[in-house]
Amino acid sequence: MTLDARDSLDELLRETLRQDVAAAADSLARLEERVMESLGERLPKRGILGSLKALAAPTRGGRWGQLAVVGATAAAFLLVGTLLSDRLPFGRHEGPLRLGGAPAAATKSVASRSSAENGVLFILPALNARVVSVVGSFSEWEPMPLSDDDGDGVWTTEIPLPPGRYEYAFIIDGRWWGQDPSADEYIRSFGEYSSVRYVGGGGDGA
Amino acid sequence: MRGCRPIALVAALACVAVLGIAAAAVTLDDFGRVLAAIPVVNEARVMAAFGLGLKSSCCGFPVDETYRLLERLAAVSGSAADKEAIVLAIAKAIEQGIPVDSLLNKAFEGLARAVPLEPLGQLLELRLRLLLESRDLFYSRGIFRASPGAAVAAGATALPPSQFDGLLSNFSDALGDYLESGGSPFEAQQIYDEVHARLTQLSGTVLTASDVDLIFSRIEPADLTQVVLTALR
Repeated sequence: MTLDARDSLDELLRETLRQDVAAAADSLARLEERVMESLGERLPKRGILGSLKALAAPTRGGRWGQLAVVGATAAAFLLVGTLLSDRLPFGRHEGPLRLGGAPAAATKSVASRSSAENGVLFILPALNARVVSVVGSFSEWEPMPLSDDDGDGVWTTEIPLPPGRYEYAFIIDGRWWGQDPSADEYIRSFGEYSSVRYVGGGGDGA
Repeated sequence: MRGCRPIALVAALACVAVLGIAAAAVTLDDFGRVLAAIPVVNEARVMAAFGLGLKSSCCGFPVDETYRLLERLAAVSGSAADKEAIVLAIAKAIEQGIPVDSLLNKAFEGLARAVPLEPLGQLLELRLRLLLESRDLFYSRGIFRASPGAAVAAGATALPPSQFDGLLSNFSDALGDYLESGGSPFEAQQIYDEVHARLTQLSGTVLTASDVDLIFSRIEPADLTQVVLTALR
């Protein structure tokens, strides 16, 4: 094939493609819209009232079964939301955060509430920690060591404390941890969290 | 002769114990030495305040704790002026007859957390103002610290010093914690609830239930907003 013949063939192919695209352009226009319109015509139309009627319609679980499922789900979400909003120490809050349980942030290292006969027991599960201590208003914020004699990762110490209110934090390998899940409340102190425990009376820290 | 040995031993131990206690007691000279190590410019004023505190040590001034705080302050690095601001906050409280326990606790905590000395001094100054304003509020509502021989006006109540100090300290501390936790000084009811929760929690243990009831029978939420705003000025 000579050079002139190859150029002629290329030109012929390009012209054919241009004509094909031009012929298909009309049929491709608004293709997506047309498909959606077609689907819409085939689906049953249902307004808000229709949706409510469908919701209340009898099902295999009974007439109100579907409503009960939806209601229970909504109630569960509401309950979880309410609980979390009370407990999670996220962001800014006003005044001490009183707790009914462990904060989510601390559930991975659940510390248990602790009472002892001769003092207040501080317990902190801290797997792989090398040194754990507790500092607080009872020690002029000087570290008091916790021990893990059996090496199970649960660190404990017992400190005799008279009735009162005590602020404290744990120090795990040099890092402060002020959110003991067994605390009665948290406060923000110098921009960080401190745990608070009430000893004696209703506080029952000991 | 053998019978005398136990007696001599007990006597010797008693002497050692007495000498030990005498040696451990912090004196004004000890305060002078540690203040010189900081050092402070207003030494005369601070020494006068600590002298006052030592005289009233029978009534709650925590001599040893204060001395240990000064020792720690002398040991940390920082400007002498910032350290003096912390010392002055304690000294002013003593001058005013205000309980210093909560100030000492905050100072110890701040040093342990390696908080810069300047903001630590500012925070202690705010806590001191809260204590003073809270005491003024108590006074304005007829709740006083009893002093020997002083007459009590009709309708007023004079509480024993330790009870009054405990009440004031926890009352003011609750306000300070509220503010430091980001609480608004304008939320009167919220401030009131925080203080109420704190004192109620301590009622029957470190605070007398009747004293707590007395406070809340004479103090309204709006009073607390006033105390906080005045202290913040």
